[in-house]
Amino acid sequence: MGFLLFILKRFVRLLATVLIISTIIFFVIRVIPGDPALVIAGIDASDEEIASVRAKLGTDKPIGVQYIEWLGDIVRLDFGDSMISGEPVRELIFERFPLTLSLALMGISLGILIAIPLGVVSAVRRWSAWDYFGMLFSQVGMAIPSFWLAILLLLIFAVRFPLFPLFGLGSFRHLVLPALSLGFVRAAVILRLTRASMVEELSKEYVITARAKGLTETMVKYKHALRNALIPVVTITGIQFGYMLGGAIIIEQVFSLPGLGRLFLYGIYQRDFTLVQGGVVFIAVVFSLVNFLVDVLYSVINPKIRIS
Amino acid sequence: MKRIICLAAVVMLLVPAFIFAGGGQEEPAADSAPAVAEPATLKFALPGNPDSLDPPMTSGTLTFQVCKSIYDTLAEPDKDSGKLVPALAESWTVSDDNLSYTFNLRKGVKFHNGDTLTSADVKATFERIMDEEGGSVQSKGMKAVTSIETPDESTVVFNLSEVYAPFLGFVSSGWCAVLPKSLIDSGHNFDSEPVGTGPFKFVEWVRDNKIILEKNADYWMAGLPMVDNVEMYIIPETSVQVQSLMAGQVDVVFIVDTDSIPMLEANPDVYLQESLTSLILVMAMNCENPVLSNVKVRQAINYAIDKQKILDIAYGGGKPINTFMDRANAYYNDVEYYTYNPEKAKALLKEAGVGDEEFELFLPQNYALHVTAGEMYQEMLSDVGLNVKIQLVDWSTWISDVYKGGKYDMTVIGHTGKLDPDGTLNGYGAGKYVKWNNEETAALLKKAATVVGYENRKPLYDQALDIMAQEVPFVYLGSSTRQTGIRNNVEGFVITPKLDTFDFRWTVVK
Repeated sequence: MGFLLFILKRFVRLLATVLIISTIIFFVIRVIPGDPALVIAGIDASDEEIASVRAKLGTDKPIGVQYIEWLGDIVRLDFGDSMISGEPVRELIFERFPLTLSLALMGISLGILIAIPLGVVSAVRRWSAWDYFGMLFSQVGMAIPSFWLAILLLLIFAVRFPLFPLFGLGSFRHLVLPALSLGFVRAAVILRLTRASMVEELSKEYVITARAKGLTETMVKYKHALRNALIPVVTITGIQFGYMLGGAIIIEQVFSLPGLGRLFLYGIYQRDFTLVQGGVVFIAVVFSLVNFLVDVLYSVINPKIRIS
Repeated sequence: MKRIICLAAVVMLLVPAFIFAGGGQEEPAADSAPAVAEPATLKFALPGNPDSLDPPMTSGTLTFQVCKSIYDTLAEPDKDSGKLVPALAESWTVSDDNLSYTFNLRKGVKFHNGDTLTSADVKATFERIMDEEGGSVQSKGMKAVTSIETPDESTVVFNLSEVYAPFLGFVSSGWCAVLPKSLIDSGHNFDSEPVGTGPFKFVEWVRDNKIILEKNADYWMAGLPMVDNVEMYIIPETSVQVQSLMAGQVDVVFIVDTDSIPMLEANPDVYLQESLTSLILVMAMNCENPVLSNVKVRQAINYAIDKQKILDIAYGGGKPINTFMDRANAYYNDVEYYTYNPEKAKALLKEAGVGDEEFELFLPQNYALHVTAGEMYQEMLSDVGLNVKIQLVDWSTWISDVYKGGKYDMTVIGHTGKLDPDGTLNGYGAGKYVKWNNEETAALLKKAATVVGYENRKPLYDQALDIMAQEVPFVYLGSSTRQTGIRNNVEGFVITPKLDTFDFRWTVVK
């Protein structure tokens, strides 16, 4: 029962978030300079031609009317048609989402696979060679901009040693380098946090108690301490996953991948109001869902944390 | 716990592998029929995604470049001379009063959907452009047209209310691509599923990824096109385009960036084809600015700029111009008033009493070349004592604030080529974005659009371009050269004069 109530509360909160965000984006994108009709009509267009495009797009109506109409549409899960390409925004998003989601999943998995074991080892054997390697890795990882890493990876693994394709889509191989460039930076962040959190847990009193009880060192470290140490890591990983959807914009540009990031980037460039609005609402929903999953994960890691 | 997380991570890592595993097999099946020659495929790097493949509904250059292979127009610029030659119209006649254009259509031309081209298709195409509610951005070209008649299946007559010299150039432009009437009537979505009579049939467009075309075997030009498939890959990063060219993953890169030229020159598998663009590169000045409204200041600014240097460094080479027309155009007027002379610039500025007023130079941030050029303009102008500050803006802001709103002092931009000089010059002298008012120029340009024949129009344009060269609402920089990178196995890559469009009809892949 408590869980159902939790979900309901979460759902209401999600709706409120989406409403606020959609209102903000609706007005912000109209306040900044730029007009989709001018982008479509180009610099040689006459005033009549521009008026004709505005009428077709519906941007000639009063802004309040546009807002009410748009809200009415999204309640029915209709995001409207892209102002530039005329395709339904919902279809455009669902066409692109699998790719970006795959990239983000692969990136975060690579990040976790590298970061958590290395972080734990660094904490357990503090000031060892492992620890120094781990700290170097995270320093470098956080300092490197992901687009630079992406180009470097391309030059090494697609040009110098042509193991992977330079651009495009079609197989798993196309995704390896982009996922690696995304995951590397995340790994650096997660690694640092895992180490810090693990070090803190190991210094707590219950660890001494556990040792005093006569538990083996493995049990103490990997069952008791690690379990608690992972809670902040899960939070940050969830947030990092959200950021990854944003980081994908740059990576998709470098690797010529047709994902969500590029869709939204060009949507913003061209002032494709409907596309940007739909995209922001979609990302807000995904972000909220990820946060929700993170909360559920807490209780799996530590059943003492009640969902309420 | 750790094990569960690791397991989950491995699973998440593998899920995408299954999602995308299916698409990997691009290799053709084992050759059971060895007698058939392998199809020739041209792989082309496209720098961006076209807005739409419905020509009259957008102004995007990429749209027209891609559509050139899918659609045809009534007439078209010849690939060598740039003169208008017959295409879907076998011939045309103009009445003595220049108010009626009769086009005789080629017979037996087939659309990709199987329809045969008739005069009804042409009429429906142009009425779609004229439709005020249709959202076409090219309706002004049809303003003078009062009616379109179809006396028989292969004759179309356009009746005009007044003489409009640019009309032939208008119908030959990419946005007047002829569409099948049956699909226009049924509300077909040409945006994403184009159907025309062109040399290639549309197969597939994965947005932001690729556009696939296949040869139209029934094309009306005998023996053309020469390749079987065209695959255009959308690659936004110039460095990735160039690397893909060297690795053989694409065959042609339309515009190689200046930095990559030495690398390609050293590569034995690739050759560079140099051509002059039809761009009119300028730095525009807002003549409503109290200081820039003084012609002496504008002259000084023109004296201050070393045109060839900016062309060479920012645009990768080119030929300077001295008035508002591209260098290779038949209407170019070769006058020169202000050659590079910074001392004279300083003197003129002193004479005009210019102090340390600040000028805002707006640069469109998505055009890297204009940004580099803008930095050079700024440097050359500060060398003669002007206080110029750079403002980077995105393209949408540039169009609405700078071009339409006139909220700028100076800006750097390139104007694309047009088939008719009226398309280039129409409206100058009566404001436009430089806010330059000159009644004589405006009247000359207006008159030139209503006079027919090169020999009659040329003197009018000469006069207008001469005034523009003296009054300098711009710094006219030049037309840049374009370096196209092509792999050795590709020959006959053609660029349409004046329109700067690639044309794959004569391209051979060995």
